[in-house]
Amino acid sequence: MDEPALIQEAQRGDLDSFNTLVLNYQDILFNTALRIMGDQDAAADATQEAFISAFRAIKSFRGGSFKAWLMRTVTNACYDELRRQKRRPTTPLEPETDDGEEMENPRWLADPSMSPEEEVEADDLEHAIQHCLDELPTEFRAVVVLTDIQGMDYKEVASAVRVPLGTIKSRLARARLRMRECLQGFWELLPTAFRLEEESLRT
Amino acid sequence: MTQTPSFRDVEKLSAYLDGQLKPSEIARLESRLQTETQLASVLKDLRQARGLLRQLPQRRAPRNFTLTPKMVGQKPPLPRTYPVFRFATVLATLLLFFTFATNFMAPRMTQIAAPYPYGIGGSGGGGGDEEPALQMESAPAEEPAPAEAAEPALEEEAPAAEEPAAPELLAPEPTQMPPAAEDSARAAPTVAPSEKSGVQIVPTTEAYAQQTAPEGAEQAQPVKPPIGTTVQIVLAAVAILSGLIALILRYTAIRKWRAKAK
Repeated sequence: MDEPALIQEAQRGDLDSFNTLVLNYQDILFNTALRIMGDQDAAADATQEAFISAFRAIKSFRGGSFKAWLMRTVTNACYDELRRQKRRPTTPLEPETDDGEEMENPRWLADPSMSPEEEVEADDLEHAIQHCLDELPTEFRAVVVLTDIQGMDYKEVASAVRVPLGTIKSRLARARLRMRECLQGFWELLPTAFRLEEESLRT
Repeated sequence: MTQTPSFRDVEKLSAYLDGQLKPSEIARLESRLQTETQLASVLKDLRQARGLLRQLPQRRAPRNFTLTPKMVGQKPPLPRTYPVFRFATVLATLLLFFTFATNFMAPRMTQIAAPYPYGIGGSGGGGGDEEPALQMESAPAEEPAPAEAAEPALEEEAPAAEEPAAPELLAPEPTQMPPAAEDSARAAPTVAPSEKSGVQIVPTTEAYAQQTAPEGAEQAQPVKPPIGTTVQIVLAAVAILSGLIALILRYTAIRKWRAKAK
């Protein structure tokens, strides 16, 4: 069944059709939540909340990009969760190393198919980028995640975060500049990544 | 040229990277990029930042986020007949309790009403509701000779109640149970010298009713319950059957719904 038909069925209250849509979009939504939240468990919670909210509000979907509409629900769920965390700050329970100390790098997120060297490199890169993303104000973070990580165009992002197109351009420019400044502090950690970037510039 | 780019320039460079500028703006910016080294440096920074963000690996969802009916508060669609059976169960049960209550209360109501007719017959006097109360009040004053006081009371009050009461009921009364005895039975502590008159005082009205019963034995038989057992059985059967049907309907609907959800 194609997407519009599934959406129509879901609007009639058919949970099976909606669950088919969930399976199609769950990775994108989870990744978006993961980059905005910076924590896997919180991202999973936000994703689940987003799908529940989406099912309840699906009758209000009036066409257009369903992906952008879903991104709006997940962004809102992330904002809600971040606000809740701000009100009641908690100490995250991160995985421990063999020495019993908290693991600073999010190695537990790594793809098991990578080689150890790639894994270390990806860990460092991912950790550094996630750290810099966490440093951004939430509204900047959402825009940069949707545009640069999820590859959405400006119109879709504007629809997802409900701000004018001009604001998207402005927030994205600021976010990219801040990311660049922040990542300069990790230059030694990210030689390969930057080398690749430099090479791609030359070609 | 070493002019520091403004934030507006940075915005344009960012949009240029994403192909969001108009052709005329692109041409103007590209010509500036060739001459302004700072502008070109900022473009390089923005491109690097964007490139790094794009390199972030896409993670797979740690689990499926599919929804269950419970998560979204969905309930199984019950058959249209279900509320009818449920209502029938409740109604039949309530009516059944009502019949039990009525049957339980009916004999009691008869017993409460019973002492007055017996009293009227026994004393042969008064018959009104106020009569015993008046005698109770006067009893302590007549303490020295309660039995004597009973006689005038009988003589005076008998004519008033004579019309409904049979004469043979009145005749033996003074020796068996004077009218004051009923009062004295209620006000027992003040009626001590009753032995003088040879009258046996019965402490309760029930016992008194038993003593005076022989003549009115037919009247004292247990009262037939106003609601028959058949009605109660039918109501109980309706309650049980409709309840069972409602339960089966509900169970079947939930089972089908869960099977469909799986």
